Amino acid sequence: MEIRVLDNNKEQGKLSFILKDSNPIFANTLRRLMIDEVPTMAIDEVEFSKNNSILYDEMIAHRLGLIPLKTDLKSYNLPEKCKCEGKGCNRCQLKLVLRATKGSGVVYASELKSKDPAVKPVFAEMPIVKLLKGQTLELEATAVLGKGKQHMKWSPCHAYYKYRPIIEITGDVKNPEAIIEVDHNNIFEIKDRKLVVNKDRVLECDLSLDYSQIDKNVKVTASDTDFVFYIESFGQLSGKEIINKAMDIFDEQLDELAEELKKAK
Amino acid sequence: MIIPIRCFSCGKPIAHLWESYVERVNKGEDRKKVMDELGLQRYCCRSVFLGHVDLIDTAAQFKKF
Repeated sequence: MEIRVLDNNKEQGKLSFILKDSNPIFANTLRRLMIDEVPTMAIDEVEFSKNNSILYDEMIAHRLGLIPLKTDLKSYNLPEKCKCEGKGCNRCQLKLVLRATKGSGVVYASELKSKDPAVKPVFAEMPIVKLLKGQTLELEATAVLGKGKQHMKWSPCHAYYKYRPIIEITGDVKNPEAIIEVDHNNIFEIKDRKLVVNKDRVLECDLSLDYSQIDKNVKVTASDTDFVFYIESFGQLSGKEIINKAMDIFDEQLDELAEELKKAK
Repeated sequence: MIIPIRCFSCGKPIAHLWESYVERVNKGEDRKKVMDELGLQRYCCRSVFLGHVDLIDTAAQFKKF
């Protein structure tokens, strides 16, 4: 197995790579581990002391929960794995306070004051609610680590993959224009009246078109062993952190399985 | 009412892009161009922006029950 990074855009949190000599089982395991098992911080409980804004408490609490928080996996534990046994301590939960008493205007995510400077909303300009004159919002929120399988707000990324496209032109193509016309991914070009593959865009092919119906010499097939993987981080963790954590969890789960099998004997 | 924090379908956080989107569209820029530049790639996220009407200013004037 080999991994070749195609693009690592840290600003947008996008990471793509080719997974070589693997199989669909492993690719899907990796995808599901990243979406469901990699923990992140999110607001889970909100205590309102004052809210006469137009949005109900429940709606604001829901919006707060969905706000991505920058996560520091080293200094927090999952509540069920913490030493305090889920009662709540500094190692497994974090308090955030929001006080918006100004005359009017939009309350932004940046106004959520966190007790830990490392954990704060990723996007400062997210509007939480809009207040009119005389309306106030005061609340205390509790953020905890959680997993995407319990609620999507704890999921760190959007991850997807496809089989690596293999495009071949095996002979003379009689009508290159007909191919170009249906090719919405811009994979093909015409050079000297001949159809050629634009090598930079081969991976953009979405494998949805059967070009062989137009011309038998144009073959688009999918590799059985290679995958093009895309990870779009929601901001809590970087792409690299997500993959590393996913692999750590995979290791743990395999160890756990081996333990259980030993017991079964 | 107010722009959703995340896209309904894919879960991408989008609320922080709304104000610059509105500002640029009101200046007369093409919606497609603005959405492309803000990084709204999929049609699910784009539909949230195209279909959204900010009603919170109107609704806020009424009493909440």
